[in-house]
Amino acid sequence: MAEEKQLRTYAEINKKIESKTASVMTAEEFKAKVAGEGLAKAAKDVDVVTTGTFGAMCSSGVLLNFGHSDPPIKMQKVWLDDIPSYAGLAAVDAYIGATELDESLNMFHGGAHVIEDLVRGKAVKLRAVAYGTDCYPKRDIESWISLKTVNQAVLFNPRNCYQNYAVATNGSNRMLYTYMGKLLPDYGNATFCSAGEISPLLNDPYFRTVGIGTRIFLGGAQGYVAWEGTQFNGKTPRSPNGTPRRSAGTLAVIGDLKKMSAEYIRALTMFKYGTSLSVGIGMPIPVLDLEMAKFCSVRDADIYTGVFDYSEQKRSRTVLREVNYAELKSGQIEIKGKKVPTSSLSSLYKARQISNELKRWISRGQFLIQEPVQRFDLDREFKPLDVRTKEGACK
Amino acid sequence: MKTKYVLTFPNEAVEEPITYRLVKDFDLRLNILRAQIDEKGGKMVLELDGPAEMIKKGIQLLKSKKVEVRSIEEGVRKDEDKCTQCGVCVSICPVAALVLDKKSLKIVFDEEKCVVCGLCIDACPATAMELLL
Repeated sequence: MAEEKQLRTYAEINKKIESKTASVMTAEEFKAKVAGEGLAKAAKDVDVVTTGTFGAMCSSGVLLNFGHSDPPIKMQKVWLDDIPSYAGLAAVDAYIGATELDESLNMFHGGAHVIEDLVRGKAVKLRAVAYGTDCYPKRDIESWISLKTVNQAVLFNPRNCYQNYAVATNGSNRMLYTYMGKLLPDYGNATFCSAGEISPLLNDPYFRTVGIGTRIFLGGAQGYVAWEGTQFNGKTPRSPNGTPRRSAGTLAVIGDLKKMSAEYIRALTMFKYGTSLSVGIGMPIPVLDLEMAKFCSVRDADIYTGVFDYSEQKRSRTVLREVNYAELKSGQIEIKGKKVPTSSLSSLYKARQISNELKRWISRGQFLIQEPVQRFDLDREFKPLDVRTKEGACK
Repeated sequence: MKTKYVLTFPNEAVEEPITYRLVKDFDLRLNILRAQIDEKGGKMVLELDGPAEMIKKGIQLLKSKKVEVRSIEEGVRKDEDKCTQCGVCVSICPVAALVLDKKSLKIVFDEEKCVVCGLCIDACPATAMELLL
């Protein structure tokens, strides 16, 4: 990346936000402005570009602290509305994951549904068992909790907001039920899940302004980027405009569930696959210089991803072809000579709604841009899981 | 005039080629949207197209054969509160009754086009699609 003449600093942008004079545009508006008035003018006029995405983010969950019972209990196993929640943390902390199911494997009510119920203000049944200690004598408890009764309810998602993702299709002769949705036989349809040009991380492909500590829109409230997301891959092949051509970077995000809204936190059922959580994430991108403006001007036609046959049950599937998001959003792509209808798994409507909401917050002086406390390492190797020997694991 | 009906066949009506008579006697254009019928009877979702008078006569015939007839205003319902406007259903729907409106980015359900095939029901991650039969 070449040295760029700085147009504005974080401090200058925040000063303007505080005085409600910042110029904020959604990614859609900014791209239209670049197309109409040119990059230099858009870069000069606009301080912040807002982006958004709303899609299935399976690696999500909520950390709860219930408070102590009398007599106290060191909860060893916890269920919330019959969904097992991880309790191997001190006495009354538990983590409920979005994809957790009950013993009957009911996919219409999993961890994600409990999370949505909590966000909606509903009461959730808590059940816990313990082995009992001298300091925590109680061995079981049944009670009801809600966001009003718990001390903390922290949405902490280890992997959200994928920077680009695969397109799924099905070349076999039977229906497939996948985390990419229902895939009809014989290339009957294809599904994609990135919002493309309005998606946060495709507007800052090298993570120049997104890192640890970045303030974001999370589930309808203000949240933060906590860390790089799990499976972060900064070494994915890129297009000349910087955008990765396959799934790449990810984010671990954190925020207060008590402040979130069911408008932007929704439980999902992927039939015969499991449950997942739809999470709304919005990210402000400060137009620090011409390079950032250029990144934010990227269009769907210049963002590529690979199409994969999900009937191939392997870790690394063969790519059938590459497509861009303009093709995907047109509703039809060609695969092996066949015209195949496409579907977005993420809500483009909600993505737009989020970028508009974030724009409002910034314009009203309610949301400041946080410079990353630390940037991510894009050079780290992305590793597979192989069956190894004990010695092999430490090599 | 086009109307959709749910027909419930008792076992004694199964042997007769009733749908043939609808075509032959009343010149109705019919489209079988769903059918699950065996020797014990069953159900059929049928779309009838023709003059109102002829449709009425056709229905009288069905009723005379002890077939229960219920007209359906809607076969599938999209719950707008549950729908997140994601669009998974769009590529699943064989008749483009569910489409992404490029301007509003919302998923629009066209009742008229729906053939009540039910493919969208379990495909919807938000469980917003309901089969009303």
